[in-house]
Amino acid sequence: MNLIAIAILAPFSMMVLILLLRRAPAVLALFGATVSLVASSGLLSSVFGGTNSELLLPGLPDMPLRLVATPLTALLSTMVAAISSMVLLYAVGYMKQDKEKNRFFASMLLFISAMQTLVLAGDWVLLLSAWELIGLSSYLLIGFWYQRAGVKSAATRAFLYTRSADLGLYIAAFILIDNAGSSDIATTLSTGGNAAVVAGLLLLVAAMGKSAQTPLHDWLQGAMAGPTPVSALLHSATLVAAGAILLIRTAPMLPPETLLVIGIVGGITTVITGLIALGERDLKRMLAASTSSQYGLMLLAIGAGIPLAALLHLIAHAAIKSSLFLGAGVFQHSRESTALVDLQGAGRDRPRIFFGFALAAFALAGIPPLSAFFSKDAIIAATLASPDAMLLATFALTGTLLTGAYMARALHILWRGEKQTREIAGLQWMGAGLAVLVILASILGFTFTTIETLLNNHLDESTLAQILGLSAALSGLALGWFIPAKRLLGPLRPWAMQGFAITGGFDTWIVKPAFAIARSCEQVERGLYACVAGIVKPALAISRSCEQVERGLYAMVLAIGRLGLRLGQAARFSDERGIDGLIYSLVNSTIELGSRARMLQSGLIHREMAITVVATAFILVSALLALLVY
Amino acid sequence: MSIDLLIALITGAALFGVGIYGALSQTNLVMIMMGVELILAGAMVNLVAFWRYLHPDNPAGQMFVLIIMTVMAIEMAVGFGVAIARFRAKGSVEMEEAVELKE
Repeated sequence: MNLIAIAILAPFSMMVLILLLRRAPAVLALFGATVSLVASSGLLSSVFGGTNSELLLPGLPDMPLRLVATPLTALLSTMVAAISSMVLLYAVGYMKQDKEKNRFFASMLLFISAMQTLVLAGDWVLLLSAWELIGLSSYLLIGFWYQRAGVKSAATRAFLYTRSADLGLYIAAFILIDNAGSSDIATTLSTGGNAAVVAGLLLLVAAMGKSAQTPLHDWLQGAMAGPTPVSALLHSATLVAAGAILLIRTAPMLPPETLLVIGIVGGITTVITGLIALGERDLKRMLAASTSSQYGLMLLAIGAGIPLAALLHLIAHAAIKSSLFLGAGVFQHSRESTALVDLQGAGRDRPRIFFGFALAAFALAGIPPLSAFFSKDAIIAATLASPDAMLLATFALTGTLLTGAYMARALHILWRGEKQTREIAGLQWMGAGLAVLVILASILGFTFTTIETLLNNHLDESTLAQILGLSAALSGLALGWFIPAKRLLGPLRPWAMQGFAITGGFDTWIVKPAFAIARSCEQVERGLYACVAGIVKPALAISRSCEQVERGLYAMVLAIGRLGLRLGQAARFSDERGIDGLIYSLVNSTIELGSRARMLQSGLIHREMAITVVATAFILVSALLALLVY
Repeated sequence: MSIDLLIALITGAALFGVGIYGALSQTNLVMIMMGVELILAGAMVNLVAFWRYLHPDNPAGQMFVLIIMTVMAIEMAVGFGVAIARFRAKGSVEMEEAVELKE
C-alpha cells in the first residue's frame, strides 16, 4: 500500500465513516488527519532518503492519473497534514457548543483530502479535479452557518470569484496538455514560446482568484463568515495556498515576461491589501486582508524568479496565520464578537493565548529568530537580485512595513482596554492546537536550510536584505503601536475602508462580465426561441389540418356506426314485434279461448247433466224427425 | 217384432227414465250414482233384449253386456272412492257444495 494513497484516503474514508455513523465526529476526524500526517511524514522521510515515489491510477486513455511524491509535493503534503491536524484539534474545542458537528468535521475532512490530492497530483486532470473539490468544500465550510444573515451570500461570492478565475486554469491546462501531448505536469513544464506566455498568464489568473490577489481580493474578507477553524485552514495551508502552490510548481516553465506580470500583481496586492488591513475594523477581516498581502509577497518572490523563497514564506505563513486565526477564535469566544471595538483588552483576559498570538504576530512581521524573518529576508533578497529590483524591492519593503504596522495595531488594540472574564468551553483543546502551531511558527525558520538541501536549491545570503527587512519590520511595528491607524492612513483611509475597490473591484471584474454574458445568452436564447417558434408554427398548422381531417373521418365512422346500429334495431324490432308477436298472439288467443271454454265448466253436475239430457233429447228428436221425413 | 221384445224395451226405457230422473233430481253423490246405475241398467236391458230376440246366434251382444257390467263395477269403485274422500275432508257429499272441485 502506497503512503500517497493513505495520505489522501485516510481523511476521505473518515469523512465517509462520519457520514455513515453520525457520532463521535471529532475523534474520527482527528484520527483521519493524524493518519494522513503520519503518511505524509513517511513520504517526506522517504524523499529525504532520495526516493521519489509515484502512484499511477487508470484514467483517460493514454493519460493515467498520477500522484507523485517529489521533495516539493511531499513537503507541501506534510505542511497541509500538520496544519489541518492542529486546526482540527482546535476545532474540537471551538465547535463544542455547535449542534452540527458531523457536517462540520465531514466537510473539513473532505477539504483536507482534496487539498492532499491537489498538492500530490502529478498531472493536470487530477489537479483540476482537486482544484474543483477544494472550491466546493470551501463553499460548504464558508456557508456552514448558512442560517445566519449574509453567510450564504458570502459563500456564494467566494465560490463565484474563485470559479470565474478557475476558467484560467482550465484553459491553461488544455493549452499545456495540447502542447506537450501529455497530462503529466513535469512533462508539460518543458513548454516554451508563446504557449508558455499565454498559459503562464492564465495560470496567474487562476492563482489570483484562489489566492485573493488584487483586483480579486474582495471575496477573502467575506469568507470570514465561516467558523474560525475554517478560516484558519482556508488561509494558511489549503484554499488560498492553492494559487501560490500552482505558481510555485509551474515556475520553471514561466518566461520572464510572465514573471514580471506576476511580480507586479503580487506587489500591488501586498501594498493595497496591507493598507486595507490597516484600516479594517474587524480582527478576522484584518487577518484575511493580511493573508492576501502575504500571498502578494509570495507572488513577488515568484515574479523575482526565486520560487523557493515563496515556498518558504508559504510554509512559514501557514503556521503563523493559522495560529493567528486560532488565537482570534479564542478572543471571539471570549467577547462573542470579532469587531476590534469589542475586542479592546481581550488580550488581558487570556494572557497565555495573547502571548501565543503576539509571538505569531511578531513572526509574521519578521522579527528574528521567528520563522517569517528568514522567508521575508529571502523574498527581499530575491527582489533585490531581480532585473527589476527598483520596482519589486520597493513593493516588498512596503509590504513588510505594512505587515509590521497592522500587526502592531492589532496587538495594541487587544492589549489596551478593560479586562473581562468569561468561561470558555473547550479552551484546553483550542489551547493545545494553538500552542503546537505557535511553536511551529516560531521555530520553522531553523528548518529552512534543511528544506533548501532537500530541494537541492540554495538561497544567496544578503546582509543588505536582512538590514532593510528588519528595519522595515521594526519601523512598521513602531508606527502601528504608537500612531493610530486614522493618522497613519491619512487621506487613504476612506478608500482603504471600502476595500480599495480599484476600478470597481468585484463589480467590474466579475459582475459586469457575468451580466454581459448573461445578456448575450439571453439574446441567443431569444433567437433560438424565435427559430424554434418558426419551425413550430407551420408544424402546428399542419397538425391542426390533420385534426380537421381526423374529425371528418371520425364523423364518417360515427355515421356508419349509427346506420349499422339503426339496422340492427330495425331487425330486432321486426323480430320482436313481427315473428315473436305472431307467436305470442297465437298463444294468447289459445289461452283466451281456453279461459272462455272454461266458463262452460260450471262444476254444477245437475245443470250439466240436464243440459246433456236436453241436448241428447234434441238430437234424438231431430234424427227421428229426419228419419220420418225421408 | 214379438211382444216380448216390446215388453223388454219398455222396461228398459222405464229404467232409463227413472235413472235420468234420479240422476237429475238428487243432490247427494251416492244418489246420483244410483241414478247413473239405473241408466246403465236400462241400456243393458235393451242390449240383452235385442240380442235375445233378433240375433241369438251372435255372442257379441253378450260380450258387450259383460263389458258394460265391468265398467259399472269400476265406475262404482272410483265414484265411492271419491265420495269417501270427500266425506272425510268436508263431512258431506252434497254436490252443490262441490263446485270448487272444478278449479
